[in-house]
Amino acid sequence: MAWYDEDSWLTQAVGPNIWAVIGTILLALTLPIVLHWFIYRSSVLAKTPSFLVLGPSGSGKTALVTKLETGHGSKTHTSQIPLTVQSHLPKSTVPKSWQYRSTADYETKAPKPLLLTDTPGHAKLRHYAYNSLASTTNPPTGILFVVDAADLSSSGTATGGANFALSDTAEYLHDVLLSLQKAYNNAKTSKAKEIPFLVAANKLDLFTALPAVAVKSTLEKDITRIRETRARGLLGVSTIGKGEGLGGNDEEGDDEREVLGGTSEGDFKFATMEEWNVSVEVVGGNAVGEDGPGVEGWWEWIGAQL
Amino acid sequence: MLDTFEIITTSGVVLWSKTYVPVASSLINNLIREVFVEERGANARAENSGGQKPTYRRDGYTLKWTAAKDLGLIFVAVYQSLLQIRWIDKLLENVRALFTELYRDQITKPNCSAVDCPFDQYFDRQIQELEKLDKDAGPQRGGPTIDVTPPTSDSNDNSADDMPPPPKPVLRTLNSNTSHDTTSTDVTPIPTPDASRPGTPRANHLLTGRPGLGGRGSRRSRKGMVAGNSAPVSSGDETPANASKKGTKGAKKMRKWDANGHADEDDGTTLDYSAPVASSNLSNANVEDSAEQEKWGTRTAKGEYMLKDIGDEMNAILSSANSNAGATNGDAASGLVGSSIGAISGLFRNVVGGKTLTKEDLVKPLKGMEDHLLKKNVAREAAVRLCNSVERDLIGMKTGNFTSIDTTLRTAMEKALRKILTPTSPLDLLREIQSTVRSSTKRRPYVISIVGVNGVGKSTNLSKIAFFLLQNHYRVLIAAGDTFRSGAVEQLRVHVNNLKELTQRQGKGAVDLFEKGYGKDAAHIARDSVEYAAAHAYDVVLIDTAGRRHNDARLMSSLEKFAELAKPDKILMVGEALVGSDAVQQARHFDAAFGVGRRLDGFIVSKCDTVGDMVGTLVSMVHATGIPVLFLGTGQHYGDLRVLRVESVVGLLMQ
Ligand SMILES: Nc1nc2c(ncn2[C@@H]2O[C@H](COP(=O)(O)OP(=O)(O)OP(=O)(O)O)[C@@H](O)[C@H]2O)c(=O)[nH]1
Ligand SMILES: [Mg+2]
Repeated sequence: MAWYDEDSWLTQAVGPNIWAVIGTILLALTLPIVLHWFIYRSSVLAKTPSFLVLGPSGSGKTALVTKLETGHGSKTHTSQIPLTVQSHLPKSTVPKSWQYRSTADYETKAPKPLLLTDTPGHAKLRHYAYNSLASTTNPPTGILFVVDAADLSSSGTATGGANFALSDTAEYLHDVLLSLQKAYNNAKTSKAKEIPFLVAANKLDLFTALPAVAVKSTLEKDITRIRETRARGLLGVSTIGKGEGLGGNDEEGDDEREVLGGTSEGDFKFATMEEWNVSVEVVGGNAVGEDGPGVEGWWEWIGAQL
Repeated sequence: MLDTFEIITTSGVVLWSKTYVPVASSLINNLIREVFVEERGANARAENSGGQKPTYRRDGYTLKWTAAKDLGLIFVAVYQSLLQIRWIDKLLENVRALFTELYRDQITKPNCSAVDCPFDQYFDRQIQELEKLDKDAGPQRGGPTIDVTPPTSDSNDNSADDMPPPPKPVLRTLNSNTSHDTTSTDVTPIPTPDASRPGTPRANHLLTGRPGLGGRGSRRSRKGMVAGNSAPVSSGDETPANASKKGTKGAKKMRKWDANGHADEDDGTTLDYSAPVASSNLSNANVEDSAEQEKWGTRTAKGEYMLKDIGDEMNAILSSANSNAGATNGDAASGLVGSSIGAISGLFRNVVGGKTLTKEDLVKPLKGMEDHLLKKNVAREAAVRLCNSVERDLIGMKTGNFTSIDTTLRTAMEKALRKILTPTSPLDLLREIQSTVRSSTKRRPYVISIVGVNGVGKSTNLSKIAFFLLQNHYRVLIAAGDTFRSGAVEQLRVHVNNLKELTQRQGKGAVDLFEKGYGKDAAHIARDSVEYAAAHAYDVVLIDTAGRRHNDARLMSSLEKFAELAKPDKILMVGEALVGSDAVQQARHFDAAFGVGRRLDGFIVSKCDTVGDMVGTLVSMVHATGIPVLFLGTGQHYGDLRVLRVESVVGLLMQ
């Protein structure tokens, strides 16, 4: 008896058999196609534009994200973890890349999907936001910074001291912009890509709310103050050696000392952030409530980035 | 009565809620912020102590909650603290079991926040049943006791063990009730090979028939009694035990409810949702070992049945949840083959990921983590608390793909450390000084006082702060409040002279010493120095105090008067980085020393450059009080003062 079995399927499969040949050829031809399809598809999936939603606690981020997702929104409470939802541009909003298409064409197209990532705004949980901000694998297409416009007016200080909501908001915004600026400076590759940044003045349905223009100037003024004291403040502690301990390492000082907008002189303007490829816009609206501008303005901004 | 019941995701979206009386949404926000995020009052989270659900009280309301960790859900019941609702715990438990079972698929769907959940009918039904049981059980407890042989099935035993002690007979009733229901559904055309099962129905018949067998007054037997009497109420099947009037009444009422609240379209929705239930039960059954074959049969056989009555569907889910718990409990001990397979697959999953973490899995890695933290000079108390909080977070979680338990634990610990070290509201000292000093309405100096035990570097750090302020061109007055230790005033004068020299070169700012010699009352000196500063247009007053042992009650008590007279804007405590486990006690005592309503505002941790990577003291101090670390002393020079950077410290600790 031979060392192999004539009738075994294994012998048949590698033997000079017409089916084996056909099978091999088919495999050789289809494999690249399948692979291509697979890789191409996954890269398309990854390219779904994603927007990062930041802002202090209670500003209405989760309310906004659910509103944009479902159209009616949900009740919300303080968030502890991020939340990513998929949404579609409403029919009424035309994405920028489609602006030269005929309306007929537009009507037939399926609405563009986009991802919105809500982050917790509690001071202890902001690392989620900074991590997604710095993400290199999936950098956000745009950033929405939600502020509670009804809580910013400096006159309404019950405690007598500085308005806590205002300084909290401005500080967070300052830190986010600064980290964008640092990321731009440290980027080694081409710096062509602009980061759209929307300051969404939320809760405009409330009568105590500041209008978008006032929100902008209030925040600019407070950020001016913050960067002033930051420039003069103490350096952060750094690790020395190969993580052998804590110390005041002056080499890192340069990066530490970086000031938002390059200089702490004069007034801070959002417009100066253009230098670091961050284009800031302030648009008002409300995620909850009947009367008020609603989310139209924000949808338009999002559409303009697609 | 209940005011509100909400089901919230950890990402902050309310999936379902039932409101009887509206309550402020800030109530639940506060619960989440204080208990879950800031982890204040660690005892509030001591879950399952005595079987009770954790409680949070605020503004006259009581909030009870439970969580479904794997799905990231929190179930919260809100009611007025004046009321006592005995069945809340049971309600939370049942709703959790029902909701997770019914909507698991929808909740785990990625990139989606909303869940389509027609849960109202289930909830209303639960409330009805629990209230009824409550009412029924009330008078029975007072009535004559009939002793009965306890039922013998495993699931009943388990439920008895899980149950809270005596004061809650109601809860026990329902639980045994539901497990009884499983057994009643066992009576199906499919013969079951399970030996332990048939025992239960028999026990049921015994319940009313044969009094006086078991041990008189024993906890278990009384439980059996209650179960026997009220079982028909919810299951509604016609066993002999059902002959009692109460039982038939209950059944009738249920049917009526069905006819009323249950229109045809409602049947439609139930039909929709019974399908996923059946399928998920199927998959559950596959995962489980031994006895599930019969459950599987029961459930499929019951298929059409469920469409008619959500009560049955509900009970089926609840009982399967109960027996699941039983199965996992019993798993460890029983079945040699099953357990060894479990061990192997557990090992495999440990490497590949996708393992659901249990307490046993975590014991060893957590011990290792605790030792690691102790090595980094974290006080034992703080290390234990961190480990506990991480354990709470992880039990019931699935490890990610290709991540081992150790990696998962590490990430969780990093997160916990970051959370504990990051202050709730960051403090920008310069900005506060600026707004006080430049305040247009009432100008006054900004007062900072510094406390601490002996020899930790109070005066040194005070001069460092003074140096920092001088660089920012403030006019600083240093008050020598240490009237106790000889040489203290002279030491400060040396510092002030040095600083003066530095300032003169700079040309802006000014520094002076305010001293009244030794032996005077420090509190009065402090007050005088503030007045003096106000009169002479100083911007900031820095008050040094005498070092004192934190367990020296006499010296510590003088701090209260000090705070009252000097009214400091900030009280900072200096602690040494090398102090070790004493840090917790120091921080606590000083934090409590200033009387009601006044606490420490921050820590200065000195000598950080001398401890290498053993920076655990920072964690211990923050853990003990929840007060942030403001400054770190990192060397001998005036410029060696730094602010905390959470990332650096976490990085060092986790090496
Ligand atoms: N009146 C009004 N209220 C709003 C608006 N947007 C949000 N809110 C309310 O503001 C509260 C907080 O909203 P959330 O969306 O939970 O806040 P958040 O930004 O997600 O907060 P964190 O999760 O803690 O970071 C909720 O009670 C909302 O109902 C709005 O446009 N108008
Ligand atoms: Mg939120």
